[in-house]
Parts: sequence; structure tokens; C-alpha cells
Amino acid sequence: MDFSLSKEQELLRDSVTKYLEARYDLARSRKVATIGDGWQPEVWRAFADDLGILAATLPEDVGGIGGGPVELMVIAEALGHALVVEPFVDAVVLGGGLLGRAGGGRARSVLEAIGAGEAVTALAAAEPTSGPVLHDVATTARRDGDGWLLDGSKIVVSSAPLATHLLVTARTAGDRLDTDGISLFLVDFDVHSPPDGVTAHPYRTIDDRRAADLEFSGLRLPADALVGEVDRAWPSLALAIDTATTAVAAEGVGAMRKVLADTVEYCKQREQFGQPIGHFQVLQHRMVDMFMELEQAVSAVYLAVLHLDAADTERARAVSAAKATIGRAARFIGQNAVQLHGGMGMTEELAVGHYFKRLTAIEYEYGTAEQHIARYAELTR
Amino acid sequence: MELAWSAADAAFRDEVCSFLDEKLTPELRRAGRLATSVYSDHEASMEWQRILQERGWAAPAWPVEYGGCDWTPTQHYIFVRESILAGAPALSPMGIKMVAHAIIAYGTPAQKDYFLPGILNGDVFFCQGYSEPESGSDLASLSMAAVGDGDDLVVTGSKIWTTHATEANWMFALVRTSRTGRKQQGITFLLIDMTSPGIEIRPLVMTSGEEVQNQVFFDEVRVPTTNVLGRIDDGWTVAKYLLVFERGGAAAAPALQVMAERVADAAAHQPGPAGGTLADDPSFSSRLADARIRTEVLEILEYRTLAALSEGRDPGPSSSMLKILGTELSQRLTQLTLEAAGPRGRAYQPHVTAPGGPIADFVAPTDGYLSGDDWQAVAPLRYFNDRAGSIYAGSNEIQRNILAKAALGL
Repeated sequence: MDFSLSKEQELLRDSVTKYLEARYDLARSRKVATIGDGWQPEVWRAFADDLGILAATLPEDVGGIGGGPVELMVIAEALGHALVVEPFVDAVVLGGGLLGRAGGGRARSVLEAIGAGEAVTALAAAEPTSGPVLHDVATTARRDGDGWLLDGSKIVVSSAPLATHLLVTARTAGDRLDTDGISLFLVDFDVHSPPDGVTAHPYRTIDDRRAADLEFSGLRLPADALVGEVDRAWPSLALAIDTATTAVAAEGVGAMRKVLADTVEYCKQREQFGQPIGHFQVLQHRMVDMFMELEQAVSAVYLAVLHLDAADTERARAVSAAKATIGRAARFIGQNAVQLHGGMGMTEELAVGHYFKRLTAIEYEYGTAEQHIARYAELTR
Repeated sequence: MELAWSAADAAFRDEVCSFLDEKLTPELRRAGRLATSVYSDHEASMEWQRILQERGWAAPAWPVEYGGCDWTPTQHYIFVRESILAGAPALSPMGIKMVAHAIIAYGTPAQKDYFLPGILNGDVFFCQGYSEPESGSDLASLSMAAVGDGDDLVVTGSKIWTTHATEANWMFALVRTSRTGRKQQGITFLLIDMTSPGIEIRPLVMTSGEEVQNQVFFDEVRVPTTNVLGRIDDGWTVAKYLLVFERGGAAAAPALQVMAERVADAAAHQPGPAGGTLADDPSFSSRLADARIRTEVLEILEYRTLAALSEGRDPGPSSSMLKILGTELSQRLTQLTLEAAGPRGRAYQPHVTAPGGPIADFVAPTDGYLSGDDWQAVAPLRYFNDRAGSIYAGSNEIQRNILAKAALGL
């Protein structure tokens, strides 16, 4: 039983945290997020060149450092604390995980480029009719000579507008809900000039990130676009999604730490009725409940992180327990942070408003608390 | 980071498990399984203490020189966890887990020599005299008077919520010896012989029908000043020291896990609202899963506290947090269990349970008839008694006050 970080992990945490404190300016980030390109490519390069966090969890044979779930947690939490909008989870966690397990020459070269900050992937999985069930795949890929023809629609593809590559799930066999018969394809992409057969509708998300809806109609792909084995992509996708869920949960913990600290500080400063509002017991108890939600969220992330390498069912159960806890905490802490900041919490004047938007998105990303409670119930029957 | 037990811890767990396998008789397991509150059947509890004492495990948290065990915090946790999983009855907390620690820290050699061996072998059985009718959460306002008269203090007043007062032969009490200065000053920590003349006990019948709690009246009861623990007028220091133990070591999750597993098991066999079993009901299964998730997370939170203790770090105000989360989760689970008990949960059948005290005004059926299974008889009594969790040992509102100050600096 040991919850301490190794020396190297502590060093990683401290260097990322200090770097972001000194260099990641919230105001500038919000500006590019809303009216700019949606991200700061030079910051992304610095993540690769100065911090090395883009390669930290990638395999060593593609230039990575081979870090595991704990390193992932440490990085994601620091990014969440600084409200970093750059696409770490999409590129490094999802792209890195899926391509790393697939093997093959193309996957390898894209992996190297991800670690070097030169490539960004976006996972196109959700569909108009899939809801949160990502193995509900109606998009099809049919053989076309040596290659493939792709048809279907994908929605809210996170980071697609920033991506150099898409990873697209498509059905190559079986019925809509089958986990067998799903294949994964790697597609070169540029939102400004999508390939023939792809229509992209980019937009901003409620938490000031970028996403797109994508339509594929007869997109022609070469044989080597197939990532991993045909029909057998689901186990790797399930692991990638559980890992991304854990990373987003850790990111949420970072954001919640910041929001709670800001709220406590605000309640010590803000005076009404001749005293700091933090003197009022009803507000103290609210903040204590926020604190307890946060401590449970921290524990929940540990639970997931320490089971990411476990057998499928055990891993899924721990990740669902974690995301259910994080979803509940993100809602409670986010909503109450706004409430305790009063009108100012509703604005974009203070950090809390921006964090609240991200926490709201985190509630819904990779499944709501209710959906994960239902999955947990199914797994524990 | 590592979630597994070390090899040494795993070996210790095996040792504990084989001891429990061998020594827990069916009667003792029954007392553990059918307990209606945190207090097991008194006889079973004392019997289990005797068996543990033979092995040297009755008071593992005490210093070794007084009969404790040289265990790591992790070993303590394993012992508690495995005992609960095996269905062992709970030991009375007042002596071994509470006042003994104050006696070890503040007692005179004579007090230690008399009380500690007596507590261990069961000859001395303590009850706790803190709360008064007019002093609950505001404990320091207590007013039961102790007036010096020669070598004695003469005690007059009343204590309430005295668990097992009728079974106890000693009480540790806070009494008022001075009314000047701050209310925390002038309180004295006193050990009172319950066989002294002038003591009268009135049992309080709880909603479960049990007589576990009492009000105790003192009418000019003479207590020798040699029974003062610590210094006269300085009892608050002793009481504060003790509170840390009262809120308990951090091991609520194992008991909650067992409760959750039993509800899940029951739900799989009880009829549900839509024709299938209760486990098929999405609303029930969702609330049960939610409670189980909270239990898994609480377990990690307890392990984090444990890890901090093991490394010699201060776990901070976590005892208050764990008290709140543990008791609120327990209330969630006892409520789910009552719901799972279905219509039979309304039948009052204490005769098939193992309550913590006598049942008032109840005539058991002569043929021993039981509607349903024994857990369905336990469920409502546990539900009623468990409402105490958020009230005792410093109400959860008081714990939130503590956390606001200690964790958030408010």
C-alpha cells in the first residue's frame, strides 16, 4: 500500500506545474481559444521540446519515455490545474495508445511525430445515433481493391480542427452494436482542406475548445490506412477510452483543486454584513462538502490509475467508479464555486467562470456519472 | 504507487484469517451478523474479547508494555478489515479503544496498574459520561458538579446517552469543578465506580426498542480524588486527547463493503417492482452501485490516511472527514437494506436479532415464528439505530465546523 510518487514522478509533477505557472497565461489562452486558432502551437512545441510531456507516456522505441498510468495522472492533473486547452488527451492518450498498440510502419511514424509535437490526432468515434455507446458504429468501411471506401457521419470530434490525422472507427463486419467487426482507420487530415470524400463542420465547444462534425461519403483510403487488425479494433479502443477517461478525471482533479482554492480565498476576502462571508457557517459547510468531494475525486483517480493495467472487467469497473465520482464532484464543486462567487462567478472576469465551463464539459465527456454508475452496476451483478 | 499489500502484510493477513477461522464460533458469527447497531450483543462481545485476549490481540493499539501489539498502521487496518469480513462481533469501544488511551497518557502508576489489566480481562467495563441533557454539541458547557470535600469529590447532576450504563461497573466522566474562566477550564476528568451509593440509572428506550442508552443520575456521589485522571480543572485536555480515538481509526470501509455485498445478495433474491428481482430494477441497482462506488472510493481515502500515518506524516483533519463520509455512507446502506427488505421490513421481530441491549415491552412469539429471513428482521432496527452515526462522537455538523477551520482555514 503506497500512494507516494517516485522521485522521477515528483520531478515530473514539479517541472510541469512550475512551467505552466510561469508560462501558461490564462488570458492569452482564452483569447486564442475564443477568437484565435483555438490553441497555441508554440506552446504545444514547448510541451514537446522543453517539457517532454508529449513523449512521456509513449513507448521508448518511438522516442518516448515509457511512462505509465501514474505519469499520465501527474501530467493530466497539472494541465487541468492550469486549464490547458491544447489537445493532450486526444493526441497523446488516445492517439498514442491506439497507434502504440497497433504497430506497423505508419503508426510508428505518426507516433514519433506525436511525441515530437508535430502531429495531432483526433478520434472520430461518436455518431448521430450512437449516444455514449462508442461500439454502436454505423459508419462503414468496404474493401475497394487494395484499399477501403468509408461512409458515415461522426459528431463532436474533439480537436479535429487542430488535427493532422483522424482515427476513424468504422464497421467492417457484424451488426451496429457488435463489438466484433469494428476497424480503425488512420486518415491524413487538415480542416482547411479536407480530403475528397470528407466534409468538415468545425466549431467551438462550450468549454472553448475545438471540435467538428465530419461526414464521410466514399472516402477512398489506401490499404495501410487500417490501424491494427481488421474487425478487431474494439479491445484496444475500449482500453484507449478507459485511459482517456482516467486522464480527463485527473485533469478534472487539477481543475477542481484550483476552483476550490479560489473559492475559499474569495470567501475570505469578500465582505458582506460587516464580515468576510467565509465566517458564515452555511458557507463553511458548503465549502467543506466541496473539499470532501475533491478528496473523494482524488481517491477515485488513484483507484482508476492503479487498475488501468488490470484485466478488462476490473479496469472498466474501477474507471467507471472513478468517472462517476468525478462527474458528481465536478458538478457539485463547479456549481457551488459559481454560487459562492455570486454574480462574479457567472462572468468571464474571473478564472472560476472558465473553469466552470471546463468542469461542465468534463461531467459529460466519456460518459456521465449516471452512465458510469449503470456500467458499474452491470459489472458488479 | 502500489495498491497491493506487501508480502509481509499478506502473511499477516493469512495469520489473522486462520485465527478467525479457528476461533470464531457460529454463535459469535451470529452475534456479528445479526447485530442491530455498532454495539454487538454484550455477552458475545465480552466472550470475543476474552478469546482475543488469549491471543494477545484484544487491545492491539495499546503500547506493547501494557499488552498491545507492535503492529504497523497497515497491520491494524488488516486486522479490523478481516475481523469484520469474518463476521466477528464488535468489541465495546469505551474501555479498550477510548479511556484506556487516556489512562496510558495521563494516569498515575496506581491507576494504570488497576484499570489497564482490568479493562483487558473484562473485569473493568467502562461507560462514557460526557453528554448532559443541556450539553450536547456544546460539550464544554457541561455542568454536573463535583465539589471537593476532604479526599473526595462529591458529584451531583446527570449524564445522558450513556451506552451500556447498566452493564458497566465504571464510568469515565467530565465534571464541573470550577465555574470561573473559560468554559473549557474548570472541567475535570473523573473515573467513577458505578456501584457507589447515590447513582441511579434510567434506561432510554430507543426507536429500535433497545435499551442500550441511559440517563444516569448522581446524587451526592462520593468519588476519591485519586480517581481524577490528569489534573483537577484540566480535564478538557484529556478529553480532547481522547476525541481523536473516539472518532476512530480509519477503517469504516470494510464494514460498509460487507453491508453492500449483503444488500446486493438480498436484491438478487427479492422481488422487484417490475416482475423480476429487485436487482433488475434500474433505480435500485443504480443507487446500490452508487453506494458501492462511494465505498470503494472511501477505502482508497482510508488507505491514503493509512499511508500517511505509516510514513509518519500527519494525515491532517482526515479523521473528521472519514467520520462524516463513513457515517453518511452507512446511513445510505442501511436505508437501501431496509428498502430491500420489502414489506417484511415492517415486521418488528427483534427476537431473531442480536441487539446491543434488552428489548423493552416485547413478547416474542412462543413458536419463534419469523416472517421472512433474519436479515429482514435486522434491517429496520439497524436503520433506526444508524441514524445515530451522524449524531454521536461530535455530530457531522460539528465535524464540518472542524474541517472548515482545520482544512480550509476559514
